[in-house]
This record gives sequence, structure tokens and C-alpha cells, in this order.
Amino acid sequence: MIRKEEVPLGSILRSDFVFFMEGSPAKEEVVRALVDGLYPQVKDLISAKALLEKVTEVEKLNNVLPTGFYIPHAKLAEINGFHAALAVIPGGFFDPKSGITVKASFLLLTPNKPIFFQRHLNMLSKLSRLFQPAFIDSISAMRDGARVLAAVSKAE
Amino acid sequence: MPANPQPQKFKQVLVLSTAMLSFISFWKAASVVLCDMGSSAFYAGGIAMNAFGPAFPWFVLAVMVFSGLMLMVYVESCAMFVRGGVYKVVNEAMGHSMAKISVSALMFDYMVTGPISSVVAGLYVSGLLYTVLPLLHIQWHVPHKLFAVLFAVTVTAYFWRENIKGVEESSDKNFKIMGFVTVVGAALILWALATAYARGFKLPPFELQFSEGALGWMTHFPYLRTIGLVGIFMAFGHSILAMSGLETLAQVYREIEDPKIKNLKKAAFLVFVFCVVFTGGLTFLASSIIPPDLIGTKYLDNLLSGLALELSGPYWARVLLQCFVVASGSLMLVGAVNTSMVGSNGVLNRVAEDGILHDWFRHLHKKYGTTYRMINMVALTQIGIILLSGGDIYLLGEAYAFGVLWSLVFKTASLILLRFKPDLPRDWLFPVNVKVGKTQFPVGMAVTFVILLTAALVNMMTKKVATVSGLAFTAVFFALFQVSEHLNRKKSRLYAQDEEAEEKLNLRREADISAILPELDKPRKILVPVRNPNNLVHLRSVLETADDDTTDIIVLSAKISKGLQLEGESGEIMPEERDLFTEVVLLAEKYGKTVKPVQVFSNDPFYSIAQVALAAGAEEVVMGVSGSTGAEVQLERLAIAWGMLKKSETPRPVTAKVVWDGRVLSYKLS
Repeated sequence: MIRKEEVPLGSILRSDFVFFMEGSPAKEEVVRALVDGLYPQVKDLISAKALLEKVTEVEKLNNVLPTGFYIPHAKLAEINGFHAALAVIPGGFFDPKSGITVKASFLLLTPNKPIFFQRHLNMLSKLSRLFQPAFIDSISAMRDGARVLAAVSKAE
Repeated sequence: MPANPQPQKFKQVLVLSTAMLSFISFWKAASVVLCDMGSSAFYAGGIAMNAFGPAFPWFVLAVMVFSGLMLMVYVESCAMFVRGGVYKVVNEAMGHSMAKISVSALMFDYMVTGPISSVVAGLYVSGLLYTVLPLLHIQWHVPHKLFAVLFAVTVTAYFWRENIKGVEESSDKNFKIMGFVTVVGAALILWALATAYARGFKLPPFELQFSEGALGWMTHFPYLRTIGLVGIFMAFGHSILAMSGLETLAQVYREIEDPKIKNLKKAAFLVFVFCVVFTGGLTFLASSIIPPDLIGTKYLDNLLSGLALELSGPYWARVLLQCFVVASGSLMLVGAVNTSMVGSNGVLNRVAEDGILHDWFRHLHKKYGTTYRMINMVALTQIGIILLSGGDIYLLGEAYAFGVLWSLVFKTASLILLRFKPDLPRDWLFPVNVKVGKTQFPVGMAVTFVILLTAALVNMMTKKVATVSGLAFTAVFFALFQVSEHLNRKKSRLYAQDEEAEEKLNLRREADISAILPELDKPRKILVPVRNPNNLVHLRSVLETADDDTTDIIVLSAKISKGLQLEGESGEIMPEERDLFTEVVLLAEKYGKTVKPVQVFSNDPFYSIAQVALAAGAEEVVMGVSGSTGAEVQLERLAIAWGMLKKSETPRPVTAKVVWDGRVLSYKLS
């Protein structure tokens, strides 16, 4: 079955879930921080441990993008809507596997239901299109979640 | 901090040029076969007349009718194997040794086809010069046979060079030649019918007058000649050379477009009708219109020129018709020379893939990438035969038919044996069968086989030159195959992996994917990424449903290089990739649809897929399921790569599919 459905990023990302990370953290630390940061959104539906395990499991198959962007994501049967958090790392972290320095990472949780998969793919596609190096550099300089969210909404 | 690398541009793109099969219509397929098989119309009658006298039209016609049965044998073999030539079929049914013997006999057929065709073309041209030069007040006596030999050697040398350069046999060219030949043939038939009507038509006598040479060893068994049926088979055997060229049908089958079997049957029917009308009909008309004394003397080696010149009407018009007859005949006969060279090279390559021809022969030409040593061997042998014949087509005709007959005997016997393997997939059966259990007992084919075997055995007795030279040649080739196989086995014991034993694939290197875009000119484009030769279900599903006329199928293999540096890539195709592309080619052949196999070098297969899909403007990306990640992860990674690379809205929505047995996941890429 073919569906074409768009979900605006601005509708799933809130400014208080945009995190700025200083220094050069490890990739695992960034993932952990995103999971911890996002957890309050889904705390009634899944345990923190289970969420981290699920994201970490998917992360093994995931690659950072050559644009310096990284999208850890997971599909969870327990949730009924999209949940997201964004980490901006102005100093970047170095991914030894690919040799790429990552300056922004977007955690996306999608309901693990067939009806959401087309929207999930659209979301992944939109994220990778939006977060190009120039855009990442521009939001790195903002230091403010609300401004980042506004920039994201404007760019999409 | 260094800037992050941007998505890679491919450092180089390998395009599998030999696999860019463009499939052809049944009209073109028939024209390819007829350029070989139909050319015998120009010499079969004369040779048969020389062998057993004025009853020759009956037997040439009978052979042409019989060719219909043999065409059906070929249709059944092709319905089982996409590459269903003599070697494949005999190998499946009778084993390796018999396959080697039958292919040796077939090689003899090819080796004589070239010389007989080129010498006959030379004789027709010299015959024309004999007519035309006096009209131009040029008193030059053309020595027929010397001219024919020089002409034949020149033609063979020309195609030798062309085949070394790798100029493919063009079905378009064959189609045009056959169009011209058909027009000339139709004019000749109509004019001949009008002449016969005006002068009165008399059927040729059904009286066999064998020449001494045509009796062969049968002179030692005079009592056999008194048996009518033996005489009929003797005459039939002397006429059977009119049927040469059937193997071309098996070779051209791989290129026939979808629906393959239906189109093959149409092509076979066209070949049959043409052969009966053109070869059989014209031979009949020639015998009725040309005065008997001239058939046996002046026109014996250029019978159809004789027919043109002996028609009713003004002389200038008849000479003009002779010019057209010679032009069409020469084109057809010269085409047969090329077909024999291409065909023998194809057969030798096929057996070499199975390791029964030494790898030395498979060495590719540095510049042209052709198997030049095989081509050299074929061309030199053909030139040797031309020189040995001294331009005598009766000698060549005597030597001919051994290979045709015995390769057909082995093939038909093999197909009968294969009927007892009912599990082999068959889309068509030779008619007249009796079902016993799961087996369709081939009554019709068995009768055909008996006729064929009888003709072959009688021919062995009557055609001394054919028997001696055919056996000698077959023995030499068989020995060559035996020694080659032995050496190849020895070599494979020394080397665990013998790369040269694999199929040779011609690769074209391009700096960028954009270089191949102009070749993708159909309105729809489907990109099919491939990785595992054992997991091509998705390609199969595309080949089953795509319309070849409107859809380019790009088959993409992404060669993964770890890290980001690709400069060190050799660009060579590895054995596993060769296996992959070989499977792709075989599948494309099976479905009769064109594919464009491309290999790119990349650090991420999904970027490669997205990049090629975007560049080509693909409407669909159809992937096979990955056992390690699963379909959804594949789609996620493709969606990410797609988004990252897509700069603007694509003109059409692009569908990404993952196909595996019984399931399809289909989503849009936005």
C-alpha cells in the first residue's frame, strides 16, 4: 500500500527538547543524552532502560551522514505518535567508523505500526535533506532552542 | 577542524557493455537466421543437380519442408534452455563426451559454411561480369574459379578483421538485407511464374541419375541402389546442405524479445515459409525455365542468375534483374560468411566457458577485447578450405552437410532422451506425443529422428569427401577439446581459483554516471540494485512485468569501499561480481528484456542507489530484501540517502520497493 504523508518537523520537535552539548562528547554520550532528554515525553509508555536499549540496537545499523548529521531512530510499539529531540554539538563529535565529524543529531521515535511507516520514511528523508552543513553551522551559532526550532520550521 | 566530506561522486562507473542486450523482434530474428539458412538457395540446386540430375527440385523442396520439422526441434530445445544450442542440449542429455563430438561436427559445418558462401558469391559476381563486360565492350575473360577464390578470401579476410574489432552482427543490417532479398526474390518468382505461364510449365522429372562421384562407396553395393527408398535417401542427403544454418536460431533466441517462445515460433514459421518459397520455389522454377542443357553447364554454379537471364522479356531487363539477383545473393552469402564466423566464435566461447577449450584461446585482444585467437583459428581454417577447394563448389558441397546432419542427429536424439526428464521446464513440445505417465513420449520427434539418422548414415556412404573430411575434422576438434580439458583440469588443480575459467565480460569504464545517461532514452526507468547472485527475486519480478519498449531497467551493483578513499580502487571486476552479472544477463535473456548493468564504486550502497536513481530520473527503485538488516531498515537508509542527495522536487514521485518471495513493501520517496 502506498501512502504519501507529511508531518511538519515543527509539530513534533519542541524547543525544550533542543539540547546544546559543549565540548566533544563521544557518540554514545550524545545518544544517551538525547534519550535521557526525550524520555519525559514517553515516560508513561516505556521504561528508560527499554528505550535506551531499543535506540542503541537500531543505532548499530545506523550510519552518520557525510553532511555531519546523525539520526538515531527507533520504532516503538508502545507509542502512538512521533517524538523527537535534537542535539546541537557546536564542537562536534568524531565518528571513528566513518571519519566524519558530527555537529547535529536528531533522535526520532516512531510508532511501530504500518500506518506510520510512510510518514517515518518521509521524516527521515526530510531530516537528511534539511540538515545540510550550512544549516547545521547556522543553528550551532544560535544557542537557543526556540530560535533553532524557528529555523527548522522555516527551512522545512 | 576539517570540513566534513560531501557525498562522494563516483570515481568511475563500469558499464557491462556485452550485457546491454537489446532484444529483437521475431522479424529481425528470422532475418538473422535466413541470412545464413536462406543463402543456400543460391547454390543448393546446382550442387544437387550435379549429384543426381534433373529431379533435384523435388529434393531441395523436400529438404525445405523437412527443415520445418528441424525448426520445431530447435523451438523445443530453446523452450527448455535459453542457450539451447547443440552443445547445451547434447551435454544435458548425453553427457560431456557426446557434446564434444557433436560440437566438433557443428564446427565443421561452420568452417565450411563460410567458404561455400563466399565462393558462391564470387561465382555469382563473376557470372555477372561474364554477362555485363561484353555489353560494355570490355573483352576481359574472367577466370570464374580464380575470381571466386580471390573474392572469397577477400570477403573472409574482411570479416576476420571485423570480428577481431568486435563489430557485432547487426540484426538491423540482416533485416535490411532480407528485405532487399525478399523484394528481388518476389520479382524473380512473379516474373518466372509469368514466363512459365507463357511458355507452359512442365514439372521436373522424378528420375534419379546419380553421377559417379555422388554414389561414393555405394558403387561397391550396387544391390542397395536398386532399393527405391535408398536412392531417395541418397538424393535427400545430397540436398540436405540447403538446410544449413539452423543453429543460428538457437544463437539468436537469447536476443529475441518478450514473449520469447511466442516470438521464436513466429520467427521459425517465417524462416520455414521463406525457405520453402524462396529456396524450394525458386529452385523448382529454375529447373522448369532454364533449358536442361544450360542448367548442367552454364548456370550450374549460379542457378538463380541463370533463371533471371532465361526469363521471357527484353534482354536489358533480364540483365538488370540478374544485377539485382547477384547483388541480393552476394549480400546474403557474404552475410552468411560473417554469421559462420560469429557463430563459430560463439560456440567456441560457449565450450570454453565449460573448460573444454584451453584458456589460451580465450585470451582477449588488448585493444578490442575480443577472443581473437578463436577468430584467427576460424578465419585461417576457412581461408585454407577456400584455397583447397580451388573455387569448386561441388567439392565444397561434397564436404558440406556432414556437420549439419550429425549435429542435428545428436541434437534430436538428445531432445528425445530429455523427454524422459519430465521435470525440466518446457514451454513448448514438438507435436505428436503420447502421454505415458508423466512422460510425453515424442512420437513425432522419433519419426523425424529416424529420417535424419537414415539420411546421415546414407550420406556417410555416398558423400566420401564429406565423410572423410568431416570425420577428420571432427576428430581433430575432439582431440583439441580433450587436450584442452585435460590441461584446464591440470591447471585448476594447481590454482585453487582459476579466474580465467570464468565468463569473460566486456566492461566499459566511464568517469561518471552522467556518461551513460544518454543511453537511457525510454520514458520509464527502473533501478534495480543487486548484490547477491542467489537473491535476484526482485530483478525477476521487474523483468516479468516491465514493458521493454517503454522502460529502461538499470541494474546497479555498488562496489563498497570502506572508508572514504576510493582512489585506490582497481576498477577490476571480481569473481563474485562476475557471477552476479552473469546471473543478471541470464535472467535478462530468459525474459527477453534489455537491462543496463552498471557497477559503481562507493562507500555506501544507499548513496549509490539514490545518486543513480536521481541522475537517471528513475520512477522506481526495486530492491531485494537484505537478510542482515531487513526490508524496513533498507527503506529507511534509502530514504535518508534520498533526502540528503535530493536538491529539489523530482518531477515524478519515486517509489521504493523491497521485493522478496511472495511479499512487496512499497513506499514513496519524498
